[in-house]
Amino acid sequence: MIPVIGLAIGIIAGLVFQPTVPTDLQPYLPIAIVAALDAVIGALRALGERRFNDRVFVVSFISNVVIAAFMVYLGDQLGVGSQLSTGVVVVLGIRIFANAAAIRRRIFHA
Amino acid sequence: MTDQGTPEQEGGLLEKIADTALDDDYYVVRAGPYEQSREFNTVLTGLVLAVFALLVAIAAIQTRTDRPATERERETLINDVDSRKTLLAGRQATADRLREQVEELTSSVVGIDSSFEELRLISGDRAARGPGIRVRTSSGPTPEGVISDRDLQTLVNGFWYAGAEAVSVNGKRIGPLTSIRTAGGVIKINYQPIGEPFEILVLGDPEALEDRFSQTAVGRDWEQRRNGAGVRFDVTRSDDLTVKAAPKDRLTILHAEATKGDDS
Repeated sequence: MIPVIGLAIGIIAGLVFQPTVPTDLQPYLPIAIVAALDAVIGALRALGERRFNDRVFVVSFISNVVIAAFMVYLGDQLGVGSQLSTGVVVVLGIRIFANAAAIRRRIFHA
Repeated sequence: MTDQGTPEQEGGLLEKIADTALDDDYYVVRAGPYEQSREFNTVLTGLVLAVFALLVAIAAIQTRTDRPATERERETLINDVDSRKTLLAGRQATADRLREQVEELTSSVVGIDSSFEELRLISGDRAARGPGIRVRTSSGPTPEGVISDRDLQTLVNGFWYAGAEAVSVNGKRIGPLTSIRTAGGVIKINYQPIGEPFEILVLGDPEALEDRFSQTAVGRDWEQRRNGAGVRFDVTRSDDLTVKAAPKDRLTILHAEATKGDDS
């Protein structure tokens, strides 16, 4: 129940306060979200396999977001920002698909 | 996990990413104070999910609010393009009007100075009509029968000799600055391409034109080619032929000036 409430609170807070992202951070938001999505999907898979651990979830979430944002930042500084973010998106995308496929296999047995 | 010692196989990197999609920590079983709670329903989870939802909401709102800005930009650009187009149309209309004025003024001059009119007629600045001959020619089947730019040049030259007063080839008037040449396998007159069959209109005394032309070397040469190489060369006399004026850009002189006082 708490996770659902957390989700709802997050969405409502976003809708109510409508915070604007500073222009400097704007390029990192999409990548951070993809990284966060990877952590969330991984958590869902772990939940299905009865391996879920909130501590691991928190750590993987934060580290994913921070590392992804940092890599894009580093890429921007080196002048290879778009290439590096493409690489990050590819890796995270593969992970998301693999985890989603594992969840699908578990639920539908197919 | 693969052994650290074994070398990575080709293309194994992506497979490895897919294989280890789930963080290894989830598989680790710890004891003691860090003993894993397999509980999903915790405040920590809720907090992280709240942050996640907030991130997504922020990004969605941001994208939504940014859209009008890009749309506004687009609209400004479209407006810009439109206004420039109307500006261009206005300029073109002005140019057309001025051109008409120039033509009107030029035509109002017509008839005032007869020698000027004659000069215009000779130089190809005005369309001309009168009796003459119509020559239709096209290449023969053999390589010797192919009509080149040089053939057309000598042909036109032959007609000038025979007394032509105005000549046009496929509707292109031969003016004082006209060139006949081949560019890229295409014959061009006044820089405009023409193709076979060629129809040459020659104004002048029809009888004299035909007679004198057939006596020239060019005329004999063409007669020979007609018989030998299968080149078509038909001459018909006519009482009423019309040749167009040469294009304006072929009648414009930029550098040469008339010398003073000496008309001879």
